[in-house]
Amino acid sequence: MIVKVEGLVKRYDKLVALDYLDLEVKEGEIFGLLGPNGSGKTTAINCILSLLKYDKGTIEVFDKPMGPDEYKLKKDIGLIMQNVAVFDELTVYENISYFCSLYIKDKKEVKRLTEEAIEFVSLDDYKKFYPKKLSGGLLRRLNIACGIVHKPKLIILDEPTVAVDPQSRNKILEGIKKLNEDGATIIYTSHYMEEVEQICSKIAIIDKGKVIAQGTKDELKSMISVGEKITIEAYQVNDLQLNTIKNLPNIYSVEYRENQLEIKTGRGNNNLVTILEYMAEQKISFGRVITELPTLNDVFLEITGKELRD
Amino acid sequence: MSFSLYINRLKCHIRNKENMFWSYLFPIVLASCFFFAFNNLWTIDSFETIKIAYVSEMVETDPLKQALNEAKVSEGVSMFSITYSDKTKASTLLEEGEIEAYIVGGENPELFVKENGMNETIMKSFLDNYRSVSSTIGTILAYNPNAINEGLMQDLMQTDTFVEEQADMKKPDAMLVYFYALLAFNCIFAANWGLVEVINIQADQSTRGARVSVSPIHKMKLFLCNIAAAFTVHTGSILLLLFYMNNILKINFGDQFVLIIITCLIGSIAGIALGATVGILVRKKASVKDAILSAVIMAGGFLSGMMYADMKYIIATKLPILGFINPVNLVADTLYSLYYYDTNERFYLNMAILGLLTVLMGAVSYAGLRRKTYASI
Repeated sequence: MIVKVEGLVKRYDKLVALDYLDLEVKEGEIFGLLGPNGSGKTTAINCILSLLKYDKGTIEVFDKPMGPDEYKLKKDIGLIMQNVAVFDELTVYENISYFCSLYIKDKKEVKRLTEEAIEFVSLDDYKKFYPKKLSGGLLRRLNIACGIVHKPKLIILDEPTVAVDPQSRNKILEGIKKLNEDGATIIYTSHYMEEVEQICSKIAIIDKGKVIAQGTKDELKSMISVGEKITIEAYQVNDLQLNTIKNLPNIYSVEYRENQLEIKTGRGNNNLVTILEYMAEQKISFGRVITELPTLNDVFLEITGKELRD
Repeated sequence: MSFSLYINRLKCHIRNKENMFWSYLFPIVLASCFFFAFNNLWTIDSFETIKIAYVSEMVETDPLKQALNEAKVSEGVSMFSITYSDKTKASTLLEEGEIEAYIVGGENPELFVKENGMNETIMKSFLDNYRSVSSTIGTILAYNPNAINEGLMQDLMQTDTFVEEQADMKKPDAMLVYFYALLAFNCIFAANWGLVEVINIQADQSTRGARVSVSPIHKMKLFLCNIAAAFTVHTGSILLLLFYMNNILKINFGDQFVLIIITCLIGSIAGIALGATVGILVRKKASVKDAILSAVIMAGGFLSGMMYADMKYIIATKLPILGFINPVNLVADTLYSLYYYDTNERFYLNMAILGLLTVLMGAVSYAGLRRKTYASI
């Protein structure tokens, strides 16, 4: 096991930030920690890294108890934080080299790893640039390079794509997949469910300091009753017709707003056919039809009763 | 590894234009301002004859009148421009600012002044000396009546020394206090480096601190590398300021230059320790720490006489303990004592106290930095 957290409790006076949190991250996983802002993701990460004191629980990294003096364990951990942590007075190359030298003693090795990291985040053309001259996306890539330059076995990324443009975001996500393919285990925290769905092999949904659901994305989606979300552009649907649709087999909810009929159905075949047949029968005119599988937001919504983005 | 960390941190400091301005350029600008503001205040060349009135009812020989008339600053330049009048008119002239003082002669001459100043001090010194000389003459003449014909008066009334003493003493007294305080202030200004390094290394203070804290490097090792870099840059600024004051402004630092440099270096270490201590003890965000440290440094500078020269003496007489725990004052006082005293006792005492303070502050900083996990981030 790469990381094992059991019964972790962290309190800030009366506020319980982590409420008996349990996590298990296996080697080779991209483990997503998904939750709204303030749910306890960063607190959990800081406890795992022994930056924060916690009130109860145990934390093991690489099967050994983690502590602030566990320098051997720290050697194999890389951290990429939400806020960029680089020196404004050092160039891109010097920053990466500096952070590498905190881990590696050999000068030649530092040089080699620095160049590899620069290539990995595609900052070759910006080696001599100072951070202030970089765009937000490039700065994030520099931040990532500083965190992974020493080739850690465990990489923790705490919301690395906040306020990043889509192009850089894709680049970052691709990079994370590549790091994983190269053998690193990843813990990725985010409140962007699309990102987590896109890259994580295992996901823990966290709310109010507790893991409320855990598994692969398919396992999580199978936990909820909604199997499909159908959106139909429909005109002049009356209340009686809406009620009838609601009472069709395998339908959970129906909402009609601004000519958009949004229907949530359970798992099963022919849900759409049944609805469309009824609409044809009732001579309800309709346009575009969109069907979607449930998202992690639906999972979160069904478990907590609120949107993930709230 | 340590050298590489040191070099990188050195690069950070040198490339930080704001820091370089405050460390290197600002003290030089301030020293220049002091120099141009104070340089001509106490030079003997600028001495002007003092306008006074003399009130005396003695018609015949009046030794005080004679002494006043004969007093000279230099060849051909009289010390006093005297108006003879009665007391009422003299008082009116003083009120109107036509004269700076008047003397009522007689057996016990009296001096009347309107304000306190250098000329008034010269008048008082002159009169005190006259009284003393008169008394001496009376005693000598009682035993040797012929002495008056043997040049006794000329020997005893060397009036030009009043001006020289006043001018010579005032210049180093007031002016050097300002320059020494500036130098001392600049040494203690190293506190800002200490604070920055503490902030940079603590996970609850900066993201860089968090990144460093999760790395396998020992915090104290990194802190010492960073402090060494800061000390190098700061030492450069101190040496530059010393060179500028000594060689360009020609400020007289006496002949103990090596001890002056040692004082500045120890003062700078004390400054760094002060900054680190404030950074550790004040459990607030970085901007609050910075504000508190600035206030501490400014207060230290003020109490050491940087803004008001007499403050140094007020503290020394009214609250000496404050002088002993104020690093700015200790450095300024050491520099001052190296200039004035022939022995180095004061230097050793001040340096010992400063060393002790530095060790205490260093211990507090070390204890604080040893903390590796935080209650909140």
